[in-house]
Amino acid sequence: MKRYDFLVYFGKKAMLFFLSIFLLSVFVFYISRLAPGDPLLSYYGERAERLGPQEREWAEKRLGLNESVTVQYVRWLKNALRGDFGISYKYKMEVTEVIKGRIGNTLILGGSGFLLIFGLALLTGILCAWREDGILDRILCKVGTVVSCIPEFWLSLVLILIFSVNLRWLPSSGAGAAGAADDFCGRIRHLILPLTVIVAEHLWYYAYLIRNRLLEEMRADYVLLAKSKGLNKRRILFAHCLRNAVPSYISLMAVSVPHILGGTYIVETVFSYPGLGTLSYESARYKDYNLLMLLCILSGALVIFCSIAAKAINERMDPRTGNRNIAAGAEVQRR
Amino acid sequence: MEKRLKVDHLSISFDTPQGEVEAVRDVSFSLSSGEVLALVGESGCGKSVLCRGIMKLLPASAKMKSGSIYVNGVDITKFREREMQKMRGRVFSMVFQDPLTVLNPTLTVGAQIAEAVKIKTPGLSRDEIQKRVSELLELVGIDRSLERMKYYPHQFSGGMRQRSVMAIALAGNPSILFADEPTTALDVMIQAQILDLLRRIQKTLGTATVFVSHDLGAVARVADRVAVMYAGKIVEIGTAEELFYDPKHPYTIGLLRSLPSYSKGCGTLSAIPGMPPPLLHPPKGDAFACRNEYALAIDYEEEPPMFRVTETHYAATWRLDARAKKRYGGQIKKGDENEEGRIT
Repeated sequence: MKRYDFLVYFGKKAMLFFLSIFLLSVFVFYISRLAPGDPLLSYYGERAERLGPQEREWAEKRLGLNESVTVQYVRWLKNALRGDFGISYKYKMEVTEVIKGRIGNTLILGGSGFLLIFGLALLTGILCAWREDGILDRILCKVGTVVSCIPEFWLSLVLILIFSVNLRWLPSSGAGAAGAADDFCGRIRHLILPLTVIVAEHLWYYAYLIRNRLLEEMRADYVLLAKSKGLNKRRILFAHCLRNAVPSYISLMAVSVPHILGGTYIVETVFSYPGLGTLSYESARYKDYNLLMLLCILSGALVIFCSIAAKAINERMDPRTGNRNIAAGAEVQRR
Repeated sequence: MEKRLKVDHLSISFDTPQGEVEAVRDVSFSLSSGEVLALVGESGCGKSVLCRGIMKLLPASAKMKSGSIYVNGVDITKFREREMQKMRGRVFSMVFQDPLTVLNPTLTVGAQIAEAVKIKTPGLSRDEIQKRVSELLELVGIDRSLERMKYYPHQFSGGMRQRSVMAIALAGNPSILFADEPTTALDVMIQAQILDLLRRIQKTLGTATVFVSHDLGAVARVADRVAVMYAGKIVEIGTAEELFYDPKHPYTIGLLRSLPSYSKGCGTLSAIPGMPPPLLHPPKGDAFACRNEYALAIDYEEEPPMFRVTETHYAATWRLDARAKKRYGGQIKKGDENEEGRIT
């Protein structure tokens, strides 16, 4: 019975996931084709401008761009379902191969950025809530408001100017020194600036959120009972308030993945970091349709997966929601 | 009898943007061990603030302006949070008004009781804690306790939640228990059960209890002594018998008269006219004067002191002054009341 319930639950979520991906692919496909721009430019480069009308027609036919968008989409979908996502116009190789070469870099940057934001925001939030209205709390809140208003690209440029151009401490672009991509220290050095920008931009919003959430909890009635039974502030904050605040924080963080991912993409572009962000930017700019499709679907899949996961996490952490406990409650009532 | 709690001329104010709200004004009372004192009054008259003020559970905007509090003979007026923490749960604890919100929804009931047990006796083993939690649940009348301590608050009914809150309050074996309207959020059947439970526990454990309520029926059921509060002050205090059968203060008389059973056969319920005064700027003289049909001129000028009626019975009304007797031919007696309204 329980196993069956789980399968139904899982099946529903999977259906939702694939339906969303399908819709996303339709939208992206149509919008990218309707947007102005010349895909031949990315395939033939400079030469595209010198192509005669006949050559153009031939080239478009070769790339399958001469038919209506719907026909193109159906063909793309058929191929995609077999695992063939086509070739990148710019790189002249399988898009999966192009992405394979870059995805690791993005995962390192985005993943470590996400974990840092997650952890630091929690710490900062708890610290601020603990010292509510203290000097530290006020300073952190104000600094956070200002810093999170600075645009990412501007902050990146300023940091590059200071640390790369003037001080020459850190590299300004790339993911590793040329010819030494596996050098660990080199990678770290290349990560510092982009990571700083990502964390500095996103940290405050979440820190402020967890702070306010905690303060709200600290004013809840159950804190009065906890106090009246003689618990100290630390125990109340960590065992009671945090327990109530964390589920919503975790689900929020799961929803925030696209937000942070978007930030990563921008930062990647500014720092010419060879990841999916720069790749997406290029593919959208040069109408590299097949590459753009797969990138959008990958990013979209991550976003949708995270929001579904957020809900599932929430259900597990808060005993009031979720099937397990509703069943238990019904049992109580039956008795 | 030993005095468990003694409150001396206590005043508590709240700082608000509009000014200072005097929630508790010059309140004095004492409580012996094994005694139940009921605090009665309208909403907003300062009953809950008084209780929370004694346990120092009020928000930072509250200030203890004057007065002193003695617990078991120790002056705790100047105690800071750290010292209060050691007293809460062990020396006094509290049962709150709304059992739906005072339990943490994400912890099992057993875990929340266990916390209180651990505070009282640190270093117990897991089994010992579980045994004690189970005992406490049985004490407050929740059977199959071993199983039920694993439930979350939302799986409990309102009455069971209030019982759990009482179990938490009793976990530290406190010598003083504040019951802040423990039955208000419950339906009538459960109210009676909780009141009987409160009385039974109080009798078996000998806990001195401050019982806050605006329900005179509930008060009659549990209280040994009754203090009537109005606009932040205690206006009359005495044994339950004295208060119910020989009330002196016109406010107490008005409260008793507004009981539905009093108006049986009258067609209309009697009520005290008007509204309680704002505590932001309390009026001069007796705060009750403008609602008092027997008000004297002096009521609007000067606050009445506590007049002694018997050794245990005090009331703050100028009608008990020797001069008032002369002019108005004595205080309000039970006979007078009957003439005025009861018999129709």
